[in-house]
Amino acid sequence: MDTTDESPDASTAPAVPRSRWEAVQPWLTLACRLGLAAVLVFAAVSKFPPALSVQAVEAYDLFPVEVARLIGYTLPLFELALAALLLVGLATRYVGAVGALLMFVFIAGIVSAMARGLNIDCGCFGGGGQVAPGETTYGLSIARDIAFAAMGAFIAVWPRSPFALDRAIGLFR
Amino acid sequence: MGSEARKRSREKIREQREREKRAAKRTKTLIVIGAAAAVVVLVVGIGFAVLNADRRDSGYEGALPPQALQEDGSVVLAQEGAQAPVVEVYADFQCPACRQFELLNGDVLKRNAAEGNAIVHYRPVSIFAQQPVPISSNSLRAGAAARAAAEHGYFVEYNDILFENQPTEGNEGFTVDELKDWFRQTDANAEQEGEFDRRIDEEAAVVTTFTEDYLPALTEDAMAEIGEETLGTMVLSDLISWGADHGHDPAFLDGTYTGEIITATGTAYTRYSGDNTFRGTPSVYLNGELLDNNTAMTVRGLNEAIASADAGEVDTQPMGDGGAE
Repeated sequence: MDTTDESPDASTAPAVPRSRWEAVQPWLTLACRLGLAAVLVFAAVSKFPPALSVQAVEAYDLFPVEVARLIGYTLPLFELALAALLLVGLATRYVGAVGALLMFVFIAGIVSAMARGLNIDCGCFGGGGQVAPGETTYGLSIARDIAFAAMGAFIAVWPRSPFALDRAIGLFR
Repeated sequence: MGSEARKRSREKIREQREREKRAAKRTKTLIVIGAAAAVVVLVVGIGFAVLNADRRDSGYEGALPPQALQEDGSVVLAQEGAQAPVVEVYADFQCPACRQFELLNGDVLKRNAAEGNAIVHYRPVSIFAQQPVPISSNSLRAGAAARAAAEHGYFVEYNDILFENQPTEGNEGFTVDELKDWFRQTDANAEQEGEFDRRIDEEAAVVTTFTEDYLPALTEDAMAEIGEETLGTMVLSDLISWGADHGHDPAFLDGTYTGEIITATGTAYTRYSGDNTFRGTPSVYLNGELLDNNTAMTVRGLNEAIASADAGEVDTQPMGDGGAE
Protein backbone atom coordinates (compact mmCIF):
# COMPACT_ATOMS: atom_id res chain seq x y z
CA MET A 1 0.00 0.00 0.00
CA ASP A 2 2.86 2.34 0.69
CA THR A 3 4.67 1.78 -2.56
CA THR A 4 3.74 5.33 -3.48
CA ASP A 5 5.69 6.73 -0.58
CA GLU A 6 9.01 8.50 -1.01
CA SER A 7 11.50 6.31 -2.70
CA PRO A 8 14.52 5.71 -0.42
CA ASP A 9 16.95 6.46 -3.19
CA ALA A 10 16.64 9.95 -4.65
CA SER A 11 18.20 8.93 -7.94
CA THR A 12 15.38 6.51 -8.70
CA ALA A 13 12.58 8.90 -7.72
CA PRO A 14 9.75 8.51 -10.22
CA ALA A 15 10.14 11.70 -12.19
CA VAL A 16 8.01 10.08 -14.84
CA PRO A 17 5.00 7.99 -13.71
CA ARG A 18 5.68 4.35 -14.21
CA SER A 19 2.20 3.49 -15.44
CA ARG A 20 -1.03 5.03 -16.52
CA TRP A 21 -2.62 4.02 -13.20
CA GLU A 22 -0.03 6.02 -11.29
CA ALA A 23 -0.80 9.05 -13.41
CA VAL A 24 -4.55 8.75 -13.07
CA GLN A 25 -4.96 7.55 -9.50
CA PRO A 26 -4.12 10.85 -7.72
CA TRP A 27 -6.77 12.62 -9.74
CA LEU A 28 -9.31 9.91 -9.02
CA THR A 29 -8.53 10.28 -5.33
CA LEU A 30 -8.92 14.04 -5.62
CA ALA A 31 -12.29 13.53 -7.33
CA CYS A 32 -13.37 11.22 -4.49
CA ARG A 33 -12.21 13.74 -1.90
CA LEU A 34 -14.17 16.57 -3.51
CA GLY A 35 -17.19 14.40 -4.24
CA LEU A 36 -17.44 12.97 -0.75
CA ALA A 37 -16.84 16.41 0.77
CA ALA A 38 -19.68 17.86 -1.31
CA VAL A 39 -22.00 15.04 -0.24
CA LEU A 40 -21.11 15.57 3.43
CA VAL A 41 -21.57 19.34 3.28
CA PHE A 42 -24.94 18.92 1.60
CA ALA A 43 -25.97 16.29 4.15
CA ALA A 44 -24.93 18.51 7.06
CA VAL A 45 -26.56 21.68 5.77
CA SER A 46 -29.84 19.97 4.88
CA LYS A 47 -30.08 18.61 8.43
CA PHE A 48 -30.40 22.15 9.78
CA PRO A 49 -32.13 23.18 12.03
CA PRO A 50 -30.98 20.62 14.58
CA ALA A 51 -34.42 20.23 16.16
CA LEU A 52 -35.53 18.44 12.98
CA SER A 53 -32.32 16.45 12.83
CA VAL A 54 -33.04 15.22 16.38
CA GLN A 55 -36.47 14.10 15.22
CA ALA A 56 -34.91 12.19 12.31
CA VAL A 57 -32.61 10.36 14.75
CA GLU A 58 -35.46 9.63 17.15
CA ALA A 59 -37.45 8.05 14.33
CA TYR A 60 -34.91 5.19 14.26
CA ASP A 61 -36.05 4.40 17.79
CA LEU A 62 -32.57 3.18 18.74
CA PHE A 63 -31.39 5.69 21.34
CA PRO A 64 -32.63 7.23 24.57
CA VAL A 65 -33.96 10.77 24.17
CA GLU A 66 -30.81 12.51 25.38
CA VAL A 67 -28.50 10.45 23.18
CA ALA A 68 -30.73 11.03 20.15
CA ARG A 69 -30.60 14.73 20.89
CA LEU A 70 -26.81 14.70 21.11
CA ILE A 71 -26.51 12.79 17.82
CA GLY A 72 -29.02 15.11 16.16
CA TYR A 73 -26.92 18.11 17.08
CA THR A 74 -23.41 16.73 16.55
CA LEU A 75 -23.75 14.44 13.51
CA PRO A 76 -24.14 17.31 11.02
CA LEU A 77 -21.15 19.03 12.64
CA PHE A 78 -19.09 15.85 12.39
CA GLU A 79 -20.02 15.57 8.72
CA LEU A 80 -18.92 19.17 8.20
CA ALA A 81 -15.60 18.52 9.92
CA LEU A 82 -14.92 15.43 7.76
CA ALA A 83 -15.81 17.45 4.66
CA ALA A 84 -13.37 20.20 5.64
CA LEU A 85 -10.57 17.66 6.21
CA LEU A 86 -11.23 16.01 2.84
CA LEU A 87 -11.16 19.38 1.11
CA VAL A 88 -7.79 20.40 2.54
CA GLY A 89 -6.43 16.85 2.37
CA LEU A 90 -5.33 16.45 5.97
CA ALA A 91 -4.83 12.88 7.21
CA THR A 92 -6.39 11.92 3.90
CA ARG A 93 -6.12 8.16 4.32
CA TYR A 94 -7.66 8.13 7.79
CA VAL A 95 -10.43 10.62 7.04
CA GLY A 96 -11.38 8.55 4.01
CA ALA A 97 -11.52 5.46 6.21
CA VAL A 98 -13.63 7.23 8.83
CA GLY A 99 -15.96 8.48 6.08
CA ALA A 100 -16.40 4.95 4.76
CA LEU A 101 -16.98 3.68 8.30
CA LEU A 102 -19.59 6.38 8.91
CA MET A 103 -21.46 5.24 5.81
CA PHE A 104 -21.47 1.67 7.13
CA VAL A 105 -22.91 2.91 10.42
CA PHE A 106 -25.66 4.67 8.42
CA ILE A 107 -26.30 1.50 6.45
CA ALA A 108 -26.55 -0.49 9.68
CA GLY A 109 -29.10 2.01 10.99
CA ILE A 110 -31.19 1.81 7.84
CA VAL A 111 -31.05 -2.00 7.77
CA SER A 112 -32.14 -2.09 11.41
CA ALA A 113 -35.08 0.21 10.65
CA MET A 114 -35.98 -2.01 7.73
CA ALA A 115 -35.71 -5.18 9.78
CA ARG A 116 -37.97 -3.78 12.48
CA GLY A 117 -40.58 -2.84 9.89
CA LEU A 118 -40.35 0.89 10.59
CA ASN A 119 -41.66 3.21 7.91
CA ILE A 120 -39.24 6.09 8.13
CA ASP A 121 -37.26 8.37 5.91
CA CYS A 122 -33.53 7.80 6.48
CA GLY A 123 -33.05 11.51 7.21
CA CYS A 124 -29.77 11.28 5.34
CA PHE A 125 -30.27 14.65 3.69
CA GLY A 126 -32.62 16.41 6.07
CA GLY A 127 -36.19 15.24 6.30
CA GLY A 128 -36.51 12.06 8.29
CA GLY A 129 -39.27 10.73 10.45
CA GLN A 130 -42.34 8.69 9.61
CA VAL A 131 -43.47 8.17 6.04
CA ALA A 132 -46.49 6.31 4.70
CA PRO A 133 -46.03 2.54 4.48
CA GLY A 134 -44.76 1.71 1.01
CA GLU A 135 -43.09 5.06 0.61
CA THR A 136 -39.83 4.07 2.21
CA THR A 137 -36.71 4.21 0.06
CA TYR A 138 -34.39 2.01 2.08
CA GLY A 139 -32.88 0.32 -0.99
CA LEU A 140 -32.01 3.62 -2.62
CA SER A 141 -30.57 5.02 0.61
CA ILE A 142 -28.40 1.96 1.15
CA ALA A 143 -27.18 1.93 -2.46
CA ARG A 144 -26.30 5.60 -2.13
CA ASP A 145 -24.41 5.01 1.09
CA ILE A 146 -22.52 2.08 -0.45
CA ALA A 147 -21.39 4.38 -3.26
CA PHE A 148 -20.24 6.99 -0.75
CA ALA A 149 -18.49 4.30 1.30
CA ALA A 150 -16.68 3.17 -1.85
CA MET A 151 -15.42 6.72 -2.36
CA GLY A 152 -14.15 6.80 1.20
CA ALA A 153 -12.51 3.41 0.81
CA PHE A 154 -10.80 4.51 -2.42
CA ILE A 155 -9.34 7.49 -0.59
CA ALA A 156 -8.19 5.27 2.26
CA VAL A 157 -6.48 2.74 -0.03
CA TRP A 158 -4.92 5.29 -2.42
CA PRO A 159 -4.49 8.48 -0.39
CA ARG A 160 -1.96 10.05 -2.78
CA SER A 161 -3.58 13.07 -4.42
CA PRO A 162 -2.74 16.62 -5.52
CA PHE A 163 -3.69 19.71 -3.52
CA ALA A 164 -3.39 18.04 -0.13
CA LEU A 165 -1.89 19.36 3.06
CA ASP A 166 -0.49 15.90 3.66
CA ARG A 167 1.94 16.40 0.78
CA ALA A 168 3.35 19.53 2.33
CA ILE A 169 4.21 17.50 5.40
CA GLY A 170 5.64 14.73 3.26
CA LEU A 171 2.92 12.13 3.53
CA PHE A 172 1.28 10.25 0.66
CA ARG A 173 3.49 11.90 -1.97
CA MET B 1 36.68 -11.64 5.37
CA GLY B 2 37.16 -7.87 5.31
CA SER B 3 34.74 -7.32 2.44
CA GLU B 4 32.23 -9.55 4.21
CA ALA B 5 32.45 -7.35 7.34
CA ARG B 6 32.09 -4.16 5.30
CA LYS B 7 29.02 -5.59 3.61
CA ARG B 8 27.51 -6.42 6.96
CA SER B 9 28.16 -2.97 8.36
CA ARG B 10 26.72 -1.36 5.19
CA GLU B 11 23.69 -3.57 5.65
CA LYS B 12 23.40 -2.44 9.24
CA ILE B 13 23.59 1.26 8.35
CA ARG B 14 20.96 0.76 5.69
CA GLU B 15 18.66 -0.96 8.17
CA GLN B 16 19.30 1.82 10.62
CA ARG B 17 18.32 4.42 7.99
CA GLU B 18 15.20 2.46 7.13
CA ARG B 19 14.20 2.34 10.77
CA GLU B 20 14.70 6.07 11.15
CA LYS B 21 12.70 6.72 8.05
CA ARG B 22 9.87 4.55 9.31
CA ALA B 23 9.96 6.30 12.68
CA ALA B 24 9.85 9.70 10.97
CA LYS B 25 6.90 8.60 8.90
CA ARG B 26 5.11 7.31 11.97
CA THR B 27 5.61 10.66 13.63
CA LYS B 28 4.25 12.52 10.62
CA THR B 29 1.25 10.23 10.49
CA LEU B 30 0.58 10.78 14.16
CA ILE B 31 0.86 14.53 13.67
CA VAL B 32 -1.67 14.65 10.84
CA ILE B 33 -4.05 12.33 12.67
CA GLY B 34 -3.74 14.51 15.76
CA ALA B 35 -4.34 17.65 13.71
CA ALA B 36 -7.35 16.08 12.00
CA ALA B 37 -8.78 14.95 15.33
CA ALA B 38 -8.29 18.47 16.69
CA VAL B 39 -10.18 19.90 13.71
CA VAL B 40 -13.06 17.50 14.35
CA VAL B 41 -13.18 18.29 18.06
CA LEU B 42 -13.06 22.04 17.36
CA VAL B 43 -15.76 22.02 14.69
CA VAL B 44 -18.09 19.78 16.67
CA GLY B 45 -17.40 21.52 19.99
CA ILE B 46 -17.74 25.08 18.76
CA GLY B 47 -20.71 24.18 16.57
CA PHE B 48 -22.47 22.46 19.44
CA ALA B 49 -21.87 25.44 21.72
CA VAL B 50 -23.17 27.88 19.10
CA LEU B 51 -26.26 25.81 18.32
CA ASN B 52 -27.06 25.54 22.00
CA ALA B 53 -26.18 29.10 22.94
CA ASP B 54 -29.70 30.42 22.52
CA ARG B 55 -31.26 27.51 24.35
CA ARG B 56 -29.74 28.23 27.72
CA ASP B 57 -32.09 30.98 28.77
CA SER B 58 -35.10 29.70 26.85
CA GLY B 59 -36.66 27.84 29.79
CA TYR B 60 -39.73 29.40 31.34
CA GLU B 61 -41.03 28.48 34.77
CA GLY B 62 -42.96 31.66 35.50
CA ALA B 63 -46.69 32.17 35.82
CA LEU B 64 -48.81 31.70 32.69
CA PRO B 65 -51.04 34.45 31.37
CA PRO B 66 -54.76 33.63 31.03
CA GLN B 67 -55.69 30.94 28.52
CA ALA B 68 -58.98 31.46 26.71
CA LEU B 69 -60.78 28.55 25.11
CA GLN B 70 -62.13 29.46 21.68
CA GLU B 71 -65.35 28.39 19.98
CA ASP B 72 -63.51 26.01 17.63
CA GLY B 73 -61.73 24.29 20.51
CA SER B 74 -58.44 26.14 20.07
CA VAL B 75 -56.84 28.04 22.95
CA VAL B 76 -55.43 31.56 23.13
CA LEU B 77 -52.68 32.27 25.64
CA ALA B 78 -52.15 36.00 26.14
CA GLN B 79 -52.13 38.78 28.68
CA GLU B 80 -55.44 40.58 29.09
CA GLY B 81 -55.86 43.05 26.21
CA ALA B 82 -52.41 42.35 24.80
CA GLN B 83 -51.57 44.18 21.58
CA ALA B 84 -49.01 41.84 20.10
CA PRO B 85 -48.29 39.60 17.10
CA VAL B 86 -50.35 36.42 16.91
CA VAL B 87 -48.43 33.16 16.81
CA GLU B 88 -50.61 30.25 15.68
CA VAL B 89 -49.27 26.79 16.44
CA TYR B 90 -50.74 23.80 14.60
CA ALA B 91 -49.60 20.55 16.13
CA ASP B 92 -50.59 16.91 16.25
CA PHE B 93 -49.82 15.30 19.60
CA GLN B 94 -48.53 12.18 17.85
CA CYS B 95 -46.24 14.09 15.48
CA PRO B 96 -42.54 13.80 16.41
CA ALA B 97 -41.51 17.07 14.77
CA CYS B 98 -44.25 18.79 16.80
CA ARG B 99 -42.70 17.31 19.91
CA GLN B 100 -39.34 18.76 18.89
CA PHE B 101 -40.96 22.14 18.33
CA GLU B 102 -42.62 21.99 21.73
CA LEU B 103 -39.39 20.91 23.50
CA LEU B 104 -37.42 23.63 21.76
CA ASN B 105 -39.80 26.56 21.61
CA GLY B 106 -42.71 25.75 23.92
CA ASP B 107 -41.22 27.86 26.69
CA VAL B 108 -40.23 30.60 24.25
CA LEU B 109 -43.90 30.99 23.37
CA LYS B 110 -45.00 30.96 27.01
CA ARG B 111 -42.43 33.59 27.91
CA ASN B 112 -43.45 35.83 25.02
CA ALA B 113 -47.10 35.47 25.96
CA ALA B 114 -46.41 36.12 29.64
CA GLU B 115 -44.41 39.25 28.85
CA GLY B 116 -47.14 40.54 26.56
CA ASN B 117 -44.93 40.19 23.48
CA ALA B 118 -47.09 37.64 21.74
CA ILE B 119 -50.60 36.25 21.58
CA VAL B 120 -50.13 32.51 21.30
CA HIS B 121 -52.93 30.64 19.58
CA TYR B 122 -52.70 26.87 20.08
CA ARG B 123 -54.62 25.07 17.36
CA PRO B 124 -54.37 21.31 17.91
CA VAL B 125 -55.10 19.18 14.87
CA SER B 126 -55.06 15.50 14.01
CA ILE B 127 -53.32 15.08 10.70
CA PHE B 128 -52.80 11.41 11.59
CA ALA B 129 -56.49 10.57 11.98
CA GLN B 130 -56.43 8.46 8.80
CA GLN B 131 -53.19 6.65 9.61
CA PRO B 132 -53.28 3.06 10.80
CA VAL B 133 -54.11 2.35 14.45
CA PRO B 134 -52.44 3.11 16.88
CA ILE B 135 -51.04 6.24 15.22
CA SER B 136 -54.53 7.53 14.45
CA SER B 137 -56.08 6.52 17.76
CA ASN B 138 -53.17 7.96 19.78
CA SER B 139 -53.42 11.24 17.90
CA LEU B 140 -57.20 11.56 18.28
CA ARG B 141 -57.32 10.46 21.93
CA ALA B 142 -54.62 12.95 22.87
CA GLY B 143 -56.32 15.70 20.90
CA ALA B 144 -59.62 15.04 22.63
CA ALA B 145 -57.92 14.90 26.03
CA ALA B 146 -56.17 18.22 25.43
CA ARG B 147 -59.55 19.71 24.54
CA ALA B 148 -61.02 18.28 27.74
CA ALA B 149 -58.16 19.86 29.71
CA ALA B 150 -58.83 23.15 27.93
CA GLU B 151 -62.42 22.95 29.13
CA HIS B 152 -61.06 23.32 32.66
CA GLY B 153 -58.42 25.91 31.75
CA TYR B 154 -55.40 23.61 31.78
CA PHE B 155 -54.66 23.25 28.10
CA VAL B 156 -51.13 24.66 28.11
CA GLU B 157 -49.99 22.55 31.05
CA TYR B 158 -51.59 19.43 29.59
CA ASN B 159 -50.14 20.15 26.15
CA ASP B 160 -46.65 20.05 27.70
CA ILE B 161 -47.35 16.76 29.45
CA LEU B 162 -48.67 15.13 26.29
CA PHE B 163 -45.62 16.05 24.25
CA GLU B 164 -43.26 14.96 27.03
CA ASN B 165 -44.94 11.57 26.98
CA GLN B 166 -45.45 11.18 23.26
CA PRO B 167 -45.39 7.49 22.29
CA THR B 168 -43.00 6.43 19.56
CA GLU B 169 -44.88 6.41 16.28
CA GLY B 170 -46.50 3.04 15.78
CA ASN B 171 -46.57 2.16 19.48
CA GLU B 172 -49.74 2.14 21.55
CA GLY B 173 -49.75 5.14 23.88
CA PHE B 174 -51.77 8.03 25.30
CA THR B 175 -53.86 5.37 27.03
CA VAL B 176 -57.04 6.27 28.90
CA ASP B 177 -55.36 5.64 32.26
CA GLU B 178 -52.32 7.73 31.35
CA LEU B 179 -54.47 10.58 30.08
CA LYS B 180 -56.40 10.61 33.36
CA ASP B 181 -53.24 10.42 35.48
CA TRP B 182 -51.61 13.28 33.65
CA PHE B 183 -54.58 15.56 34.28
CA ARG B 184 -53.88 15.07 37.99
CA GLN B 185 -50.48 16.71 37.46
CA THR B 186 -52.30 19.99 36.78
CA ASP B 187 -53.92 22.03 39.54
CA ALA B 188 -57.38 20.72 38.69
CA ASN B 189 -59.74 20.02 41.60
CA ALA B 190 -61.53 16.75 42.30
CA GLU B 191 -64.72 17.80 40.59
CA GLN B 192 -62.83 18.77 37.43
CA GLU B 193 -60.96 15.48 37.56
CA GLY B 194 -64.22 13.58 37.72
CA GLU B 195 -65.61 15.44 34.73
CA PHE B 196 -62.36 15.01 32.84
CA ASP B 197 -62.31 11.25 33.48
CA ARG B 198 -65.88 10.79 32.31
CA ARG B 199 -65.17 12.75 29.18
CA ILE B 200 -62.00 10.76 28.42
CA ASP B 201 -63.93 7.49 28.69
CA GLU B 202 -66.56 8.78 26.27
CA GLU B 203 -64.02 10.15 23.81
CA ALA B 204 -61.90 6.99 23.90
CA ALA B 205 -64.96 4.99 22.90
CA VAL B 206 -65.70 7.41 20.06
CA VAL B 207 -62.08 7.18 18.88
CA THR B 208 -62.23 3.39 18.87
CA THR B 209 -65.47 3.39 16.87
CA PHE B 210 -64.02 5.92 14.48
CA THR B 211 -60.66 4.29 13.85
CA GLU B 212 -61.72 0.64 13.94
CA ASP B 213 -65.21 0.53 12.45
CA TYR B 214 -66.39 3.74 10.88
CA LEU B 215 -63.27 4.89 8.98
CA PRO B 216 -62.16 1.50 7.56
CA ALA B 217 -65.67 0.87 6.19
CA LEU B 218 -65.96 4.39 4.84
CA THR B 219 -62.52 4.24 3.23
CA GLU B 220 -63.28 0.90 1.60
CA ASP B 221 -66.51 2.22 0.09
CA ALA B 222 -64.95 5.46 -1.04
CA MET B 223 -62.03 3.58 -2.58
CA ALA B 224 -64.46 1.49 -4.61
CA GLU B 225 -66.69 4.38 -5.68
CA ILE B 226 -64.45 7.38 -6.18
CA GLY B 227 -61.09 5.69 -6.61
CA GLU B 228 -57.87 5.81 -4.68
CA GLU B 229 -56.50 8.77 -6.57
CA THR B 230 -59.33 11.19 -5.81
CA LEU B 231 -59.49 9.84 -2.29
CA GLY B 232 -55.83 10.72 -1.80
CA THR B 233 -56.60 14.37 -2.49
CA MET B 234 -59.57 14.56 -0.10
CA VAL B 235 -59.15 15.83 3.43
CA LEU B 236 -60.81 13.77 6.11
CA SER B 237 -63.70 16.15 6.73
CA ASP B 238 -64.59 16.03 3.01
CA LEU B 239 -64.49 12.24 3.08
CA ILE B 240 -66.78 12.27 6.10
CA SER B 241 -69.27 14.56 4.30
CA TRP B 242 -69.16 12.20 1.32
CA GLY B 243 -69.81 9.30 3.67
CA ALA B 244 -72.81 11.06 5.21
CA ASP B 245 -74.50 10.91 1.78
CA HIS B 246 -73.43 7.33 1.15
CA GLY B 247 -74.63 5.42 4.17
CA HIS B 248 -71.88 6.20 6.66
CA ASP B 249 -73.58 8.28 9.31
CA PRO B 250 -71.07 10.45 11.17
CA ALA B 251 -73.63 11.48 13.80
CA PHE B 252 -71.68 9.66 16.52
CA LEU B 253 -69.03 12.39 16.18
CA ASP B 254 -71.47 15.22 16.87
CA GLY B 255 -70.67 17.16 19.99
CA THR B 256 -67.54 15.11 20.68
CA TYR B 257 -64.06 16.57 21.02
CA THR B 258 -62.90 13.89 18.60
CA GLY B 259 -65.29 15.22 15.98
CA GLU B 260 -64.25 18.76 16.82
CA ILE B 261 -60.55 18.16 16.21
CA ILE B 262 -61.29 16.39 12.91
CA THR B 263 -63.31 19.45 11.82
CA ALA B 264 -60.58 21.81 13.04
CA THR B 265 -58.05 19.87 10.97
CA GLY B 266 -60.20 20.04 7.85
CA THR B 267 -60.69 23.79 8.34
CA ALA B 268 -56.96 24.34 8.74
CA TYR B 269 -56.36 23.06 5.21
CA THR B 270 -58.61 25.78 3.76
CA ARG B 271 -57.73 28.67 6.08
CA TYR B 272 -54.63 29.88 4.26
CA SER B 273 -53.70 30.15 0.61
CA GLY B 274 -50.62 30.25 -1.59
CA ASP B 275 -47.31 29.84 0.18
CA ASN B 276 -49.08 29.92 3.52
CA THR B 277 -51.25 26.87 2.82
CA PHE B 278 -51.39 24.48 5.74
CA ARG B 279 -49.70 21.25 4.66
CA GLY B 280 -48.69 19.45 7.80
CA THR B 281 -47.49 19.79 11.33
CA PRO B 282 -45.91 21.52 13.03
CA SER B 283 -47.01 24.68 11.25
CA VAL B 284 -46.32 27.96 12.96
CA TYR B 285 -47.88 31.15 11.63
CA LEU B 286 -47.00 34.68 12.60
CA ASN B 287 -49.88 37.05 11.85
CA GLY B 288 -51.10 34.57 9.27
CA GLU B 289 -47.72 34.07 7.59
CA LEU B 290 -46.30 30.54 7.63
CA LEU B 291 -42.85 30.53 9.22
CA ASP B 292 -40.12 28.43 7.62
CA ASN B 293 -38.26 25.78 9.60
CA ASN B 294 -35.19 27.93 10.20
CA THR B 295 -37.43 30.46 11.92
CA ALA B 296 -39.91 28.23 13.69
CA MET B 297 -37.48 25.49 14.71
CA THR B 298 -34.76 27.66 16.20
CA VAL B 299 -35.04 29.65 19.41
CA ARG B 300 -33.37 32.74 18.01
CA GLY B 301 -35.34 32.61 14.77
CA LEU B 302 -38.69 32.50 16.52
CA ASN B 303 -37.79 35.13 19.10
CA GLU B 304 -36.54 37.53 16.45
CA ALA B 305 -39.55 36.97 14.20
CA ILE B 306 -41.92 37.72 17.08
CA ALA B 307 -39.94 40.77 18.14
CA SER B 308 -40.02 42.28 14.66
CA ALA B 309 -43.70 41.60 13.89
CA ASP B 310 -46.60 44.04 14.30
CA ALA B 311 -49.62 43.42 16.51
CA GLY B 312 -52.16 41.02 15.04
CA GLU B 313 -55.73 39.84 15.52
CA VAL B 314 -56.92 36.46 16.69
CA ASP B 315 -59.36 35.09 14.08
CA THR B 316 -61.54 33.07 16.46
CA GLN B 317 -64.08 34.02 19.12
CA PRO B 318 -63.73 33.03 22.76
CA MET B 319 -66.16 30.39 23.99
CA GLY B 320 -69.33 32.08 25.26
CA ASP B 321 -69.80 30.90 28.81
CA GLY B 322 -66.17 30.92 29.87
CA GLY B 323 -65.03 27.32 29.68
CA ALA B 324 -61.61 28.61 30.59
CA GLU B 325 -60.68 30.23 33.87
